Amino acid sequence: MMSAISSSPTVRKVAVPVTFETRMWQFMRWSGVLLIPLVWIHVALKDVIVGVHAIDLDYVQRTWALLAWRVYDMALLAFTFAHGMNGLRHVANDFVHSEGGKRAVSWLILIGWVVITAIGAIAIVGGVRAP
Amino acid sequence: MATLINTLWEGVRYRGGIGNWAYLFHRLAGIATLLFLAIHIVDTATVFFFPSLYQHAIEIYRSTPFMLGEIALVAGVLFHGANGLKIIVFDFWPQLWSHENEKKAAALVFVVTIILWIPAAIIMGNSLIQCNFLNACAGG
Repeated sequence: MMSAISSSPTVRKVAVPVTFETRMWQFMRWSGVLLIPLVWIHVALKDVIVGVHAIDLDYVQRTWALLAWRVYDMALLAFTFAHGMNGLRHVANDFVHSEGGKRAVSWLILIGWVVITAIGAIAIVGGVRAP
Repeated sequence: MATLINTLWEGVRYRGGIGNWAYLFHRLAGIATLLFLAIHIVDTATVFFFPSLYQHAIEIYRSTPFMLGEIALVAGVLFHGANGLKIIVFDFWPQLWSHENEKKAAALVFVVTIILWIPAAIIMGNSLIQCNFLNACAGG
């Protein structure tokens, strides 16, 4: 039982307007839940179990021979980078105060996100090519 | 720049306790991971765009400074995930939130991070020593 002093905070229900920022707030949380198994398994596998010294072109080719791993890597690419770039936008908005500056930063982040996601996605679809 | 220095300095000076440290580490780990991720996506994409460069990229990953960085990065990824889960729990179940619970949860996040990180750091550190210093690499 909680004492009178440490009672739980007041919880009230308010109607939150569903804006772009509401959607991004939800996205950060739902993608966050998903990223825990997705990223932790990836890191445990590639960095701890397999290790960077056992990874080469041949290893990537063998991994991507299985469609499931390509789907996994595509999900990893889509969710980690979108989560990260939106997080960067969030942090940047604490430092950039002018409306014009915020707009410029948001556009730069959006362009960076699209370009790098496209590069990664093309590589996952295209697969390993002979050197 | 002035705001950046001010924010960093005030962030360290501010006596908000463990919750404030969790907030600072969450941001630092997030930004560091994103920076790594952007590089990592592009270098892995060389398997399709410039396959002859991939081996070169992997050589950099195998270097001692990079492997030490990876061990630190794993700590950041574990902390960011554990602390993110804490944020999600309090956001979705606000009735659980209280001053005491916030402090307990932040302490738990640090403990969970360390417990998960130690075995990973030992295995990665061992592979670093075996491969880069003892010439006895299991991975070839």
